[in-house]
Amino acid sequence: MNLALAGLACIVVAGAVVAVTAREARAALLGLLVALLGAALVADPLPGPLPIAARLASAFLACRLIAIAIRDLDEPTSGSRLGWPVEAIAAAAAAVIGFGTHGLGAPGEGAAEAQAAGFAVGVLAASPIVSSRDVFRLGMGAILLLLGGLLVRQGLSGTPSELEQLVTSGLVVGLGGAVGVVIAGARAAVGGLAVRDQPARGIMPREGRHLKP
Amino acid sequence: MTLLPFLVICFAAGAASLLARGNGQLSTAIGIVGLAGAVIAAETIGADDRLTVGGADLIGSAYLRLFVLLGSIVAFLLALLGLVTTSHRYAPGVLLGGIGAAGLALALRDARIAVIAATAGGLLGILVTIVPPASARGVVVAGRELRALAVAGVLAILAAAWIARPLEELAGEPAVFGLAYLGFAPAVAIRFGAIPFHFWAARLADAAPEITLPMLMAWSPGAFAVVALAWADQSVAPLVLPLSIERALIVAVGVVSLILGSVAAWIQDDLEHVVGYTIIADAGIAILGLAALSPAAWEPARTWIIVFVMVRSAFAAWAVAVRGAFGTRRIAALGGWVLRAPVLALSFGLIFVAAVSWPGLVAWQARVALIDLNVDGPFVVLITAGALMQIAVFGRLLYVGLSRPSEAVVGGLSERPVWPAAMPRRPMIGQSGTERAFERARHALGGAVDVAWVVPEALRANRTPIAAALVLILSGLSLGVASGGLGVPEAARAVPGQEQGPGPSQSESPPSEPPATATPPIETEAPSVSAPPASGGSPIASEAPASSAPSASPTLLSSPSP
Repeated sequence: MNLALAGLACIVVAGAVVAVTAREARAALLGLLVALLGAALVADPLPGPLPIAARLASAFLACRLIAIAIRDLDEPTSGSRLGWPVEAIAAAAAAVIGFGTHGLGAPGEGAAEAQAAGFAVGVLAASPIVSSRDVFRLGMGAILLLLGGLLVRQGLSGTPSELEQLVTSGLVVGLGGAVGVVIAGARAAVGGLAVRDQPARGIMPREGRHLKP
Repeated sequence: MTLLPFLVICFAAGAASLLARGNGQLSTAIGIVGLAGAVIAAETIGADDRLTVGGADLIGSAYLRLFVLLGSIVAFLLALLGLVTTSHRYAPGVLLGGIGAAGLALALRDARIAVIAATAGGLLGILVTIVPPASARGVVVAGRELRALAVAGVLAILAAAWIARPLEELAGEPAVFGLAYLGFAPAVAIRFGAIPFHFWAARLADAAPEITLPMLMAWSPGAFAVVALAWADQSVAPLVLPLSIERALIVAVGVVSLILGSVAAWIQDDLEHVVGYTIIADAGIAILGLAALSPAAWEPARTWIIVFVMVRSAFAAWAVAVRGAFGTRRIAALGGWVLRAPVLALSFGLIFVAAVSWPGLVAWQARVALIDLNVDGPFVVLITAGALMQIAVFGRLLYVGLSRPSEAVVGGLSERPVWPAAMPRRPMIGQSGTERAFERARHALGGAVDVAWVVPEALRANRTPIAAALVLILSGLSLGVASGGLGVPEAARAVPGQEQGPGPSQSESPPSEPPATATPPIETEAPSVSAPPASGGSPIASEAPASSAPSASPTLLSSPSP
């Protein structure tokens, strides 16, 4: 085990735990930033300076786009109903599984720590991506889900090429922009982060005849 | 290098258009000029172009060129259509970014990068889903779209990465390949909004601008599907693995989407919903191409994808023009539209022919081939009949169009061209020939200025005929593609670097392998992993299927033998 990579993986997972459990949006965003920054470095061998710079810049830009959308937000996010200790334990368990199954059936070309971090981040993303009405948490879940996938990909297939890092940077920025747009739209539409679904246009609820006297 | 200008134009102009969205006219102008540039740049893409950037290859191909050329033309015409009907300031930029991302994904040899590019391109759709002023419905739909993109993206990234390395030790674990396949194929189904993954796509028509629907629901997922098809043909199909359960699941998704999508389109009362569900139905056939796991599916699947995205783009454009003319999307309120809008009626006829098609037409042949590769016996008839349910969808629209004119149609805009102002008369007063010559020149100049002065008003007054003409162009183009024009079959068959694709040859020579129905049942074959999915563990070529690999193409649903 590479201790430096293991440390970085722990930082990534810790950032992800904060991102999905914090009720203060700015703290959650900071956690996401930490996870995104750390994820660029959990690779063996390390990418070149240019790809790392691109990934770091994309992480900052993505979080900046979300930060614009949550400016002056005076309500907390819904946070995790399980609480951070449970989320952290689940992430730790997933990380152990990811580390132990490195390669998923064949020798992995990348770092086992990356796969461990990917599993942990993926598990943390599951709850917000499946059940959240809070668009901020949904956005966190979407970004973390893809980040987890990219980390597992680094563990399975090795360090991505420079072009892949560049395209990944574009994906991260795009995700940040998309989440920012959704959050800003929710705040403009309902004044908050939690949005309820509405009936489809053109389908009006019918009056129940059986309720008439 | 010929691919680079196209990508630069798409991404630069798309970004500029989106950044300038504060000024609607400037943003639209940048977007439309960019789309025109993209059409020209797409035309110049070489089939044998190769570019290495950052350690990865970008490869041109005839299919890539055709896909992005048609995509750019469609996006350009849709943007113009948006100008004369229901414009949205983000739309041109999103159309540019979408077709650029599709081009990048199709050009990348490495499927691991291609799926990231295709996922990033899909994110652009969220920008237009929340139309200002934002509504709760738009936010919910955008959230669902984001969720679908993330789930589909991560499935595809994991599947592509899992088996993109030396896999000697995986030889005894065919389930690994099945799981990877079962990850990638549902990712395609999610991106298309295929049933049962349709909840986000079904509501997209309520939220996103109509002119962007083809890009969000057809072109971007179509590029994703082409990447998936190449990945499956290169990585999974050559291994001849017993994946009957996995294939059966994918076939089920395709068939259910095809049939239920057609039924849903038939019963909808909103034109945009009809368009959305017909896209979902056609996507079912594309998913069957992924389920076949056979080189024989290479050409028909790629043909079908390009045909259906073209036809559905024309159908979406027709719906936009109808709404622009009559101010409503409700089918029940469109009584008598055929007589009121004959050019749109002609376009409707062309779209109907292209969508339903008949034996001998490329679209029909591709659809039948994909059905044949997956099912057998009465199921072929059943599923073909399901595909032909679109006759009922079009028949209903035609029936309404021929019925008594409704208020909306009577009060709607006519397709007849009008000139908004009478030209002033200029009598000749000169006596001599020289005087009259100068006077004529002055009158000609004055007349030209008069005409030029009225052009903007004339364009506004003739929005409906202009929209009808644009739809007619798109419909004709879609019929041309559906009938095999523009070299669609050749482009779909070709593989970069090879003259002949993995599908059956057009020549009279016998196929190198027995036909699909003659192959033994897949369960009886030993799980052989004789060929590695990617040579030497190199990245999987998203545009290079294994042309010489053995094929397992048994049908999944067979009629009981006597």
